[in-house]
Amino acid sequence: MTNVRNFCIIAHIDHGKSTLADRMLELTGVIHTGTNAQFLDSMDLERERGITIKAKAVRMPYRSRDGQDYILNLIDTPGHVDFNYEVSRSLKACEGAVLLVDVTQGVEAQTIANAYLAVDAGLEIIPVLNKIDLPNAMIDESRLQLEEMLSLSAADTLLVSGKLGTGVPELLEAIISRIPSPQGNSDGVLSCFIFDSYYDTYRGVIPHIRVFSGSITSGDKIMMKSTGKVFEVDEVGYFSPQLTPCQTLKAGDVGYLGAVIRDVADIQVGDTIISAAHPETPAIPRFGRSQSMVFCGIYPINTNDYTKLTTALEKFRLNDSSLVYEKETSTALGYGFRLGFLGMLHMEITIERLKREYGQDLIATMPSVVYRVVTRGGEALMIDNPSKFPPPDNIDHIEEPVVRARIIVPHKSIGPCMELSESKRGTLVDMAHPDAKRAILTYDFPLAEIITNYHDKLKSVSQGYASMDYDFVGYYPADLVKVDILVKGGPVDALSYITTRDGAVTRARALIHKLRKLIPRQHFEIPLQAVIGGKIIAREDIVPIRKDVLAKCYGGDISRKRKLLEKQREGKKRMKMVGAVEVPQEAFLSLLKMDE
Amino acid sequence: MSNIRGLYIHVPFCIRKCAYCDFYSLAGQLGLVERYVEAVLSECRAYTGVPFRTLYLGGGTPSLLGDENLRKLIYGLRQCLDLSGLAEATIEVNPESATVQLLETTREMGIDRLSVGVQSLSDYELESVGRIHRAAQAIETLRRARKLGFRTVSADLIIGLPGQEWETLRMGLETLTGLGIEHLSLYCLSVEEGTPLAASPPGDLLSDDAQAELFDQASRFLERHAFIHYEISNFALKGHECLHNLNYWRGGEYLGLGPAAASHYHGKRFNNRPDFHAYLGNPAGQREGVEELGVQAKAAEEAMLRLRLLSEGLNTGELAARFGYENVQDLFGRLDEMATAGALVYDGSSYRLIPSRVLTSNPIFCRVLSS
Repeated sequence: MTNVRNFCIIAHIDHGKSTLADRMLELTGVIHTGTNAQFLDSMDLERERGITIKAKAVRMPYRSRDGQDYILNLIDTPGHVDFNYEVSRSLKACEGAVLLVDVTQGVEAQTIANAYLAVDAGLEIIPVLNKIDLPNAMIDESRLQLEEMLSLSAADTLLVSGKLGTGVPELLEAIISRIPSPQGNSDGVLSCFIFDSYYDTYRGVIPHIRVFSGSITSGDKIMMKSTGKVFEVDEVGYFSPQLTPCQTLKAGDVGYLGAVIRDVADIQVGDTIISAAHPETPAIPRFGRSQSMVFCGIYPINTNDYTKLTTALEKFRLNDSSLVYEKETSTALGYGFRLGFLGMLHMEITIERLKREYGQDLIATMPSVVYRVVTRGGEALMIDNPSKFPPPDNIDHIEEPVVRARIIVPHKSIGPCMELSESKRGTLVDMAHPDAKRAILTYDFPLAEIITNYHDKLKSVSQGYASMDYDFVGYYPADLVKVDILVKGGPVDALSYITTRDGAVTRARALIHKLRKLIPRQHFEIPLQAVIGGKIIAREDIVPIRKDVLAKCYGGDISRKRKLLEKQREGKKRMKMVGAVEVPQEAFLSLLKMDE
Repeated sequence: MSNIRGLYIHVPFCIRKCAYCDFYSLAGQLGLVERYVEAVLSECRAYTGVPFRTLYLGGGTPSLLGDENLRKLIYGLRQCLDLSGLAEATIEVNPESATVQLLETTREMGIDRLSVGVQSLSDYELESVGRIHRAAQAIETLRRARKLGFRTVSADLIIGLPGQEWETLRMGLETLTGLGIEHLSLYCLSVEEGTPLAASPPGDLLSDDAQAELFDQASRFLERHAFIHYEISNFALKGHECLHNLNYWRGGEYLGLGPAAASHYHGKRFNNRPDFHAYLGNPAGQREGVEELGVQAKAAEEAMLRLRLLSEGLNTGELAARFGYENVQDLFGRLDEMATAGALVYDGSSYRLIPSRVLTSNPIFCRVLSS
C-alpha cells in the first residue's frame, strides 16, 4: 500500500488536463504513444466542448528513478463549476491533486474554486504550469498568481508541456515523493466508497470504488450501507484503462466490482460498501449533497415515448447522481419530468446527452430557479416551476436565490463586465487587483439572472478572457411577478416565467415578438398574449397562412408530390401540438434567446 | 384500379428554358427531334397492342416537334399501341411554335384537345420570366384553334408573376373567356431550387399572400363565367374536364414514354431517367425509382389524390371496396377527425376539401398520408 498513489488533476476548462493525462498514460505504457489523444474525454460531447463531464479512473504502473515499482491511480475530474459535486466525489478517492494552470491564460475562477475544494478535502496539492512551450507563455505571472491568489509557493511549482511531454517525468516523480500513500488497514473490516458507476447491459451496474479499509475479493458478500441490500461479488478489477480483472482490491486501491446488480436504484454514488458479515460498519461520511440550482421540464415530443424517457432517466442518473428529477404534468405538454441541475452547463449537457446517447426526442422548457413564495397565510412554499405559483392575490412576497460570483477579468474589460453585471441586477461587493493585468470582481446576483446567458455574454464582452465561479448565498425578497403566455386564447403553462415587475412589460413584448417569429403560420389566426394575473400586457397575432399547396402535377409524377408532402410531414413531427397549434421545440426556450 | 389507362409522351425540347421551370427539358437540341421520335417509337414496342383511353403530349414544348415529326410520332404510336378507343388526345403547344400548319396536322392526326401555354397576357410579365412569346401570339393561337374545331381548348396561366396585379390578370381572364376557351389551368408560381428564378429572383415577385389573393379573385371570376373549379389548379366548363388528368387524380394507371416521363403501371410507379442522350441510346432501359407501396399506403395515396378533385371528392365506399375495409379503417379515422375539425366535409358517401382550404391543403394531405 505504501507504493500506491491516488491523485487527480484539477484545472480550468481548456487548461490541458486531458492532454497531460495522455502523456502520463504513454510514459507509463498504459497506452501507446500517439494512440488516442484526449483519452480521458471519451464522450463525444466532452471532445466537442473540450471539457470533462464524467469522472473516470485509470491505473498506471510506474517504476521510479530509484527503481521502486508504484501504482498510480489517476481519477479524472470535471473542470466546470457546475460539476463541483463530481469534483468533490473524485477528490474523496484521492490523497493528492495536480493543480494545472495554462500559462497562456493564468489562474482562472475555476482554478481557484477547484483548489479550494482540494484543500477542503485535505489533499496534497502539486501546482503545475502547463503549455510552457507556447510563445505567449506567462510563466512568471502565473507563478505570482498562484502565490497571490492561492498561497501556493513558487518553489513547489513544476513546469510542463502536456503537448511535448516536457516535465512530465519530473511530475510523475513529484507525485510519488509529495503525495502521501493511502492509509488504511487491509486486514480490517471492509469499507469502500462508491465514487462513480455505470450500467452495463450484460453485467448490470458496475460501481467504481475506492477501498478505505479491508479488502474485497470475488465471492465476497457485500452490503450497500444505505439500503442494506446484499450482493455477491463476481469480479473485482481496475481500469487499465479498460476493465481488467484482478484477484483482490485492498485498502488504498481504486477499482471496480461486478455483482450482477440489476436494479439501478440499488447503487448510489457516495454510498459505502461494507461486508455483509459486519452490517454495523459505519458509513463513510458523505460530503454535502449536491444542490439543484436550476430546474426545467422535459417532455417527449411524441407522448408515446414517455416510458422510454423514464428508462433513459433512470440509467442516466446512475452515473450522474447530481441529477434529480420527478414526474410532472403539463396541461400543454402532457406527461414529463421536472429535472434539477447544478447549473446551466449541467442542464445543457444533460439534455444534449439524453438526446444523443439515449436517443430521446424531447422538449425542454425554460429553466427556472427555486423561489421561496410566502403566502398571505404566512406559509412559505419552495417552488421550482412558475406554473405552480399561487395566484397573485394570495402572495405576500417572493424571495429568490442569490449567489456570490467571483469574476476574474482583464483590466481593459472591467467596464463592459460591470455594465453587463449591473444589467443582470448584480450588486458589486468587492474588487481586488491581484496583479497588474487582472481584477477579481465579486458580485451578488439573483441566480435567475445568471442562469440564462450571463456566462456567454461575459465571455463575449471580455473577448473570451473573463472567467467566473459562484456560490449560493441565500434567499432575498424581490419584486417579482409571474407572466403567463396565452396561445390562441389558451394558457401554455410551460411558457410561464417569473420576472421583475419593473421590466415585465418590455420583456413580455420582446418574448411575444420572438414567439411570433418562431411559431410557423398556420391556416388560422393565432393570437399570442402575455398576461399578469388577468391583465394583458403584450399581444401579437400570427396571421393565417394563405398558400401551402402543391399545384403542378409534373406530367403525372405523383411519387414526387407524395415525397414532398412526406418531407413536410417529417417537419411537423418535430413540433408539439399545443391545443390546435403546432409549436416548434425552440419556442419553449425562446425567453433564453430573446436578446440574440 | 381503374382499367382506363392514359398514355403520356414527354417531349423534352425547348427553344429556351423559362426562368421558373424545373421540368425536364433541353434547349438547343432540335437537331435531335427525329432521333427522339424514333426512340419513343422504339420504347413503345414493349407495349404493343396495349389499349389506351387518353393520350397526352406534354413537355417541354411538343409543338417544337414540327408537323412532319408529329405526324410520324402519332402514326407510329397508332401502329404499335391500341389507340382505337381514345376518348381524348391532348397536345401542349407554345404560341410561338403553334403554326397554322402544325395545328392543322394535330387535327388531322385526331388530336382534339389543345393546351396552350399562355401563362399571361401581359408582355411585361412574360418577358420577366423569360417567356419567348408575346401576348398577341397567344391570342392568335387561340383564335386559330377555335377555327380548327378542337373539342376543348385550354390555357395555362401563372399566378404570381413579377409585378402582376388583379387588373392585368382580370383583363387576361376576360380575353381568354371571350375567346371561348373551355378549360383553364391556374398555377401559382413556385420558386424551385436550382432554377434561374431562385438564383436571381426579381424584386417585384409576388408574396405567397398576394398570390393567394389573386388566385381567390381569379377563381371567383371563373366561377362567374360558369367554370367549375374541379381540381385544385384546374377549371373547366361542364363536360370539358381533362380526362387524362382526371385519371391521375383518381389514382388511375398511365404509361409515360420519353425521358423523365412518369408511369403508374401494374400498381407500380416509376420514372424514366431524366437523361436525354442515355434515352436516345437505350430508350427501353431508362426505368428507375420503381415504387410499389403497401396496400394501406396506396389507399392513402389515392385518398390524397382524390381529395384534390374538389367537386367529385373521395367516395369512401369505392375506396373501401378497392383496398379492403381493414386497409382503410385508420385512414377513415383520420378523415373523420379532419371533418370534425372542419377541414373536410362529409356528405355520407364522400369527403371533399372545403373551398377555403384549397390553397392550404398541404397540411390536410400530410395528415391523409400519415400512418
